[in-house]
Amino acid sequence: MLQLLSLLRPPSAMASAGGGDHAAGVGGEARYPLDAGSYRLMCKIGSGVSAVVYKAVCLPLGSAVVAIKAIDLERSRANLDEVWREAKAMALLSHRNVLRAHCSFTVGSHLWVVMPFMAAGSLHSILSHGFPDGLPEQCIAVVLKDTLRALCYLHEQGRIHRDIKAGNILVDSDGSVKLADFGVSASIYETAPATSSSAFSGPIHAPSAVLSSSSFNDMAGTPYWMAPEVIHSHVGYGIKADIWSFGITALELAHGRPPLSHLPPSKSMLMRITSRVRLDDAESSATKKKFSKAFKDMVSSCLCQEPAKRPSAEKLLRHPFFKGCRSRDYLVRNVLAAVPSVEERCKDSNQLCGCARGTRCVSPCRHANNVAKNRRISGWNFNEESFELDPTERPERCFLFHHDDDNDILEHEHEQATKPTGGDGDDSPAARWHGDGTEKRQEGEGVRDVVVPNLVSIFGSLEMQRGMVMQVLEGGGGYHDRSSNGCGGGDGETAGKEEREEMLLGYVRQLEQRVQELSTEVEEEMARNAQLQELLHERACENQTDSSQTLGSR
Amino acid sequence: MKGLFKSKPRTPADVVRQTRELLIFLDLHSGSRGGDAKREEKMAELSKNIRELKSILYGNGESEPVTEACVQLTQEFFRENTLRLLIICLPKLNLETRKDATQVVANLQRQQVSSKIVASEYLEANKDLLDTLISGYENMDIALHYGSMLRECIRHQSIARYVLESDHMKKFFDYIQLPNFDIASDASATFKELLTRHKATVAEFLSKNYDWFFSEFNSRLLSSTNYITKRQAIKLLGDMLLDRSNSAVMMRYVSSKDNLMILMNLLRDSSKNIQIEAFHVFKGFPAKANKDFQFIVYPRLDPHPVLLEQNLPRTIASPTQIAIQSETPNNWMVQNVPNDGHQAPQHHTLQRMQNQSSKH
Repeated sequence: MLQLLSLLRPPSAMASAGGGDHAAGVGGEARYPLDAGSYRLMCKIGSGVSAVVYKAVCLPLGSAVVAIKAIDLERSRANLDEVWREAKAMALLSHRNVLRAHCSFTVGSHLWVVMPFMAAGSLHSILSHGFPDGLPEQCIAVVLKDTLRALCYLHEQGRIHRDIKAGNILVDSDGSVKLADFGVSASIYETAPATSSSAFSGPIHAPSAVLSSSSFNDMAGTPYWMAPEVIHSHVGYGIKADIWSFGITALELAHGRPPLSHLPPSKSMLMRITSRVRLDDAESSATKKKFSKAFKDMVSSCLCQEPAKRPSAEKLLRHPFFKGCRSRDYLVRNVLAAVPSVEERCKDSNQLCGCARGTRCVSPCRHANNVAKNRRISGWNFNEESFELDPTERPERCFLFHHDDDNDILEHEHEQATKPTGGDGDDSPAARWHGDGTEKRQEGEGVRDVVVPNLVSIFGSLEMQRGMVMQVLEGGGGYHDRSSNGCGGGDGETAGKEEREEMLLGYVRQLEQRVQELSTEVEEEMARNAQLQELLHERACENQTDSSQTLGSR
Repeated sequence: MKGLFKSKPRTPADVVRQTRELLIFLDLHSGSRGGDAKREEKMAELSKNIRELKSILYGNGESEPVTEACVQLTQEFFRENTLRLLIICLPKLNLETRKDATQVVANLQRQQVSSKIVASEYLEANKDLLDTLISGYENMDIALHYGSMLRECIRHQSIARYVLESDHMKKFFDYIQLPNFDIASDASATFKELLTRHKATVAEFLSKNYDWFFSEFNSRLLSSTNYITKRQAIKLLGDMLLDRSNSAVMMRYVSSKDNLMILMNLLRDSSKNIQIEAFHVFKGFPAKANKDFQFIVYPRLDPHPVLLEQNLPRTIASPTQIAIQSETPNNWMVQNVPNDGHQAPQHHTLQRMQNQSSKH
């Protein structure tokens, strides 16, 4: 790195030996200056809710190109500790497939994080600027292999990334890949922050192993990529949640967008926890993309509902899909050559805003797509589009790629849509709710405020689903009316219709009952929560007096 | 045949002993560049051993930690000077091994052997190690590792007391303002831990060291031009003063006009977050504190004071608005209290506030 930089450094900078010496770090790594004056911002290459990313040059290091993420601390998170934890995580990770910050410092109320400049941008941006229908499979293998290496490293460190998606996988101009954004990552070795204001000198907790077992209870990540156990997070989740997100990311790269993303996030979340979703959606079958068996197998193993059955990152690396993986050059030639540079893309995105006002949009304008993909939890829109019924339930355990021959029998599609949903809805989700109940009781203290909001949102989603079924009922009726009109059908047809309607009505009643059950559960949960809070408060008081007593006796 | 030569599985104590031997070797041969290959080899072995210590203490992917093994490990670790060696040699280790070592040290602070925390006893007898850890903030490469270890060590009340009473406390005012964000934040997390964790010890420290501590705190942190420093300091001030165990210190703090001035200025800060935090402290200035005040802010008896707290900061953009808001019943009040005649600067502040409010 240093050698490279000294090559880049103009002679004038070399002459000022003082600066050069200062810049050289101990470990042979360049030391980046910690003041805004040493950097010149070139152009904006990305922006989020509370952060803007710039391409910049570091003047004392011979105008080395860097990316600077300027986080508005005033606007971002109320808690500075979180920002600090992210910065610390980034400073302590060292792997060639993990994005590591060079340094970070404050500029007014902004935090500047200086990072390597990844010239080709994120995979998400590559998808939307040249590959709206997904990348070629061999290219997917190249980037996923590097992503897996990064995951291997993180998991070995006991770190869960919690937000794996194409938007967080960055590519450099040479085709090298780095995993970025540790905004929501967590370390299983760090216990609950000891710095909270309510910290009291209570009994020191005995160490407990959490490497594989469940340890996290807070929601983190982006809805479409979230694993089922993260969504109903009171059961906790471990490193296998990243494997799920990795599987979703693979689908995202294959199709150009994450599965179920045509649904609003809440619905897509609901579908993942109540059913074994067929993660392939209508659009992909329309484009008739063919994927290798190895790829399908790899992805389906990641998307197993049971976290324990998902392979580890290390095991995935040995999967046949990654055997004979092409080189980075292949990626450069086939993908990077086909997309505009990061700078141009950012200009385009500025014009995107303009096209609403009538300006001609030069780049392929993918407004709708982008909106859906960029949305984070904060931007949920619950009643955005009307529901399209998707035959979601499949009897197989964790298969997602449906076979193309399914399309042959279109007539039966409606039957399939309703029947298995009713059947599955009967046993699996109900059973799961039961299981959760007992687990919750065992968990005791672990259940916190997180549970109630989750339950409430699930409850809301269920109610929505009920609405959808009602829609189906009507739709189904219309469909058969048309068919009977078309062929002038007889009595048998109407009898069948009635039968079907009755069945659907039964299903609606079932659903109503389930909603009822859930609402009582929510109530119970709230009461319990209040109890727990009281208990906690009491304990805190006790501990405080305890400790002050013991201190007094000393 | 194979079975005959299969080495016996190493006990946790064996791993500690071997780690110690390797550390001693590393310590002795640190200067010499000659036997590089051998040194590399020992280094790799050391890394492996430290990782093994970690997996005994934390468990690995397949198994939970075994209490008996942890006890053995802890006993052997503190029987001799392994902790000292590990801390001294840390800068020589590679990044991954440093992280493992930090986690091992962190875990050991909580291990109990026959219901005694061995680490605490060891540190009490080796307090100079804390000096080493604190000085780590001056070295960018090891600051975060030493910082994490330090925060774990001050979980022990006696150790926290040692640090509080040492001269190191003064150094923290520098460390907190280091330009490097990771390190400054780490130092400030440690500082906060020191001043909030052990209530009785903290109360004692603050009352004994009131003068220099708050003069430094006010002049260097609360009046700093650095956004983060200011924001973290005002938050910490609230955490300290509003804690019941520090009520005596609180009384003393709020009886000073200068302190009030500083807070009034923070209420006018351009940052919303700083305003809010300042308000939390400000509202704590109780009426009974000192009659010297030209005016004081205190809560009227309100059935839902907590609700109020949450609502108010969102609505204040400037102290002007506090004044306005306070005029409504059941809200925070700004009130003139008759005093013995000397014109304190607060009066002008109030005047200004009133002027502003009339302008609006």
